[in-house]
Amino acid sequence: MQLLVNIVVLASIYSLIACGYVLIYRVSRVLNLAHGELMMLGAYLLLATASLFNATPALAIAAAILLSTTAGVLVYVLLMRRMTGETVLAAILTTVALGILVRGVVVLIWSPQQQYPAQALHVTNPTLAFGTAHISTWSVALVLANAAVYCGLFVFLRFGRWGMRMRAAGQNPLLAAQRGINLHGVYALAWALSTFTGSAAGMLMALDSGLTMSLPVIALKAFPAALVGGLDSLGGALLGASIVAAAEVMLIYYVDPLLSDVIPFLVLIAVLIVRPWGLFGTREELDRV
Amino acid sequence: MTLLRVDQIEVIYKRVITAVQGVTLSVREGQIVGLLGTNGAGKTTTLRAISGFLGIDDARVTEGTIAFQGSRLDNRAPHEIAARGVVLVPEREKVFPNLTVAENLFAPVARANARGQHELAFHFFPRLAELRSRTAGLLSGGERQMLAIAGALVCQPKLLLIDELSLGLAPAIVDDLMRQLLAIRSELGIAILLVEQSAAVALELADYAYVMENGRIVLDGDRKRLKDHQDVQEFYLGQARGERRSYRDVKQYRRSRRWYG
Amino acid sequence: MFRSPPRASGYFRTGYAQDLRLVQTKNEWCAVLSFTAIAVAVPFVASPFLLDLCCQIFLASIGALSLMLLTGYAGQISLGHAGLIAAGAFTAGILAREIHAPFWLTLPASAVTGIVLGLIFGLPSLRLRGLYLAISTLALHFVVIYLGGEYETKRGFSTGILIDPPSVLGWKLTGGRAWYFVLLVFAAGTLLACINLLRSRSGRAFRAIRARETVAEALGIGIARYKLLAFVISSAMTAVSGCLFAYYRGFVSIEAFDLFLSIQYVAMIIVGGMGSLLGALLGAAFVTVFPYAIETLLGFLPNAKTLAGDIFAVNYAAFGLVMILFLLLEPLGLVGIWRRIQNYFLLWPFRYRPLAGARK
Repeated sequence: MQLLVNIVVLASIYSLIACGYVLIYRVSRVLNLAHGELMMLGAYLLLATASLFNATPALAIAAAILLSTTAGVLVYVLLMRRMTGETVLAAILTTVALGILVRGVVVLIWSPQQQYPAQALHVTNPTLAFGTAHISTWSVALVLANAAVYCGLFVFLRFGRWGMRMRAAGQNPLLAAQRGINLHGVYALAWALSTFTGSAAGMLMALDSGLTMSLPVIALKAFPAALVGGLDSLGGALLGASIVAAAEVMLIYYVDPLLSDVIPFLVLIAVLIVRPWGLFGTREELDRV
Repeated sequence: MTLLRVDQIEVIYKRVITAVQGVTLSVREGQIVGLLGTNGAGKTTTLRAISGFLGIDDARVTEGTIAFQGSRLDNRAPHEIAARGVVLVPEREKVFPNLTVAENLFAPVARANARGQHELAFHFFPRLAELRSRTAGLLSGGERQMLAIAGALVCQPKLLLIDELSLGLAPAIVDDLMRQLLAIRSELGIAILLVEQSAAVALELADYAYVMENGRIVLDGDRKRLKDHQDVQEFYLGQARGERRSYRDVKQYRRSRRWYG
Repeated sequence: MFRSPPRASGYFRTGYAQDLRLVQTKNEWCAVLSFTAIAVAVPFVASPFLLDLCCQIFLASIGALSLMLLTGYAGQISLGHAGLIAAGAFTAGILAREIHAPFWLTLPASAVTGIVLGLIFGLPSLRLRGLYLAISTLALHFVVIYLGGEYETKRGFSTGILIDPPSVLGWKLTGGRAWYFVLLVFAAGTLLACINLLRSRSGRAFRAIRARETVAEALGIGIARYKLLAFVISSAMTAVSGCLFAYYRGFVSIEAFDLFLSIQYVAMIIVGGMGSLLGALLGAAFVTVFPYAIETLLGFLPNAKTLAGDIFAVNYAAFGLVMILFLLLEPLGLVGIWRRIQNYFLLWPFRYRPLAGARK
């Protein structure tokens, strides 16, 4: 039973992070390898706002989310906007370089030691019982947040005006522009949503188990989840995250705890061999070089 | 009243390839203007120059001006140009393939209030109303062209740019489309700039036409003048006068064509 | 030299043999000889720090040249370079530790490891391109790192494997100067090997594959064969550089081979300039010298003391920033800057080359 609970929590973490990758890729065909570092930035911003608003945690969280979403939009406007039309390698490397820059800056501003935003906000993390299993409060919050985010995104992309426009821009950017859709606005929106979900994940994880410099590593492990499901499919990200999380938890428990860092990539390799475009991805993605 | 005025434009791809040079044309309100020419003449490039390039092709209008109702259009972003009322129906990739027909019509951004625009689209193309929930990528060629024009109508254009109306379509469907375009022009007063390889279709529809070759305009005139012009008849309408000739004669004649300018 | 640019002085080749020569004009001979003279003279006048720096640059160049071969010429994006270096280093370490193998055995063994890994890393390239290929190399990198980590913990070397200095025919290889010459020979050898490979049929096949794969296939170039060849040759060279790295440091530990190292190598070829061997060398020098330059620069700042403790983070941030600046502003890299300077002097007082010379 505890295994199942662990799988659900890990799958929620991975899928919340993975939808960030999927959002940006689906809309602008850019792979944002700085997602982990931006997530970390969001969590550290929570630390900063926590010291400002330590009386009202809700306000601190809201402020941090606002700040990090703004940071995501700024990343697009100042940097990625200028990389439209460049080669795949150049765009990926720009995000990688950005990630490195953000990581360096974060360590400089805050120290590399482990931090505890939960303490700064004076909130506790009691363990709840769920049948025979134990789960911490913030983990429950994470699972619920993940569900809420996915429902919201499904509805928005399917039925919302701008969601439709985002999908259109992802399929045919030139036609979208010719139909009056402001591509830069759509891309900025995608980056904002992606950073929003990413920092939400980062903050919840930090509140649950503390904040360290290794937060981006988790994002790197969530990336195979996005790929397994198909880089341009949200539903696929959910499914992919579940598969990767299940594999990881079970193999750690039954085989070898050291495997935890490499299992997502083994799953990734397996999927790349069998079905490179992921479970629900569109096949044409493969030939885009 | 002149809606669109293109004045001596030069379009260069990748900073070295001149696709269009010294092209001047104009479209008046409610007029249907045709742009004829063979492959590679620069017609699509001219239309793309008017409707705006997206950084992808590394193309720029390097000389000349494009003015729509007095304001400059050259080298602006495509969505700004669409917002002013100049909307393009492209030659390839003219619909959003993974969206349904209805979503294709909801996605574009209209100039003003979009209420009722979709009804207008279904009014001109009733077939689309039946296909509302079909994925656009699964439509037939004719239906796709209808959806493309309808998608452009939703943006409430004042000037419609159509690239290759009849390419790959059966003649019956082309007739249908032509009838609808004439209806659109008369009911909504929208001007149309039509690029066509099929001179017959173009000269059916257009009030006035330009002939392009190698990036320049070589001939222009109203419908009657062009239909009666011997060179247009020979090279575009396939109505050679006299008996059969050998290819060698034709080739020689080509060199002394009576193009103006 | 090997792309034969038009020469301002009107030097014309009159035969195929002349065409194939590596060094052609008298000026080129002068350049090569003077450069060799400087390279040979340096260790006798330089400080130990400078010697160490040069050795690091040589080591980095081998890796950079092989990555340039794979990504810059054959067009196969590889983000797993650190994994290959780790594989070479670990082969040397494991063999030296477990069976006390001598240097002349571990070096070829590393090359063999590189070849095998090259085949494995190269297999995805038969099915995937671009982004997906990069991701698959990334995944394989993590697998290699994991295996190295497993070995370390399972065999009790959690702090790393110590290696004795290599000895060839009874002569021990220690000391900055000796290492300098050995590494210089290796780096020069790698450079020559790359130049020759690129002049050959395989080199042309690589370039064709990078430019337009479908067309290359239609022309009868065996895509699978040449892609695998590119991976295998590149990985073998990289593994050898890893082996040399292990012996040079005398110490192998898995923490040294993280993702950042892979990114540094990719940065070397991007900053240097894609598609040019000179670019690989310039990039290797740039990225190797970079941390030291940052450290010196920090010394000039007023509040140096407070930042000195975070030198690693400053390095990170500066590296990311410089990489972004290069990607945004100078996509052709250092070689692009060099060619622009060259052109300025060649073409003066004109400013532009006639249209035919759209050089990269």
